[in-house]
Amino acid sequence: MTATSRMHPQLVLLLELQDLRSQHRELGEEEGAGEVERAHFHIDLEKARSELEDKIQELEASLNPVVRKRYQRVLPNRDRVVVPVINGVCYGCFVSIPTATVGDEGAHQELQGCENCGRFIYILS
Amino acid sequence: MELRELFTAEAVKLELEADSKDAILKELIELLGLDEKSDTILFKTLKRRENLGSTGIGKGIAIPHCRSLVVNKLCLAYGRKPGGMDFNAIDDAPVQHFFLIVAPPLEVSNQYLPVLGKIAQFAKDPDIPGRLEEISQPEEFLDLLREKAPR
Repeated sequence: MTATSRMHPQLVLLLELQDLRSQHRELGEEEGAGEVERAHFHIDLEKARSELEDKIQELEASLNPVVRKRYQRVLPNRDRVVVPVINGVCYGCFVSIPTATVGDEGAHQELQGCENCGRFIYILS
Repeated sequence: MELRELFTAEAVKLELEADSKDAILKELIELLGLDEKSDTILFKTLKRRENLGSTGIGKGIAIPHCRSLVVNKLCLAYGRKPGGMDFNAIDDAPVQHFFLIVAPPLEVSNQYLPVLGKIAQFAKDPDIPGRLEEISQPEEFLDLLREKAPR
């Protein structure tokens, strides 16, 4: 079993939420992913974004109140609420995360945040 | 970067066993070699993308794709389902060939969209479905990419 197999359930929800937000943002790019989705996959972008918004709201409502409060505090100021930590660096603000945080095998068993930018962090090896 | 350099033989499966849309996605995800929890999150993200509209682009080819936090680099896999299966493709034809593309939310080299476009272009070459049918070893798939994929 890996560290991520013992992941905090709220972190799992946050990762799903962040993936949905990435999808939603990209479908709004007229000359980027949105155009690719329309041209190659015939996606109705407006309808797709509306469906994703509904799903995002549903998942946000399923966060526990404490996590949701923190999520809502970070969200207005950041395009991404959950960011990966790669090689000890927060990929939200690009500041180093303390070794004690990223080095713990059970790091994903509790919700952790970047002390600098406040985003939730997800440690990728 | 050429498509050939982004695939590995380990991420190529010429006899997909699954016989439903969900099971095909799971089998493709397994080819990426992630951990169990990442597989689960990735499946949900891909499934949600499929719910917006099938990634079956016709002529027996589908390109499931998404960005996800569970990967730290662009990950690709190819799977072939002999005989094909229903994937709600835009031409309603069975799909035999599946190209999976997963990218992290942020990429330094920004390869995701160009790679997605290249695979769509590769797949639309009228020779490709037939050539993919003839492959008997994963290395031959990589050779075909080297020969025919756009640069």
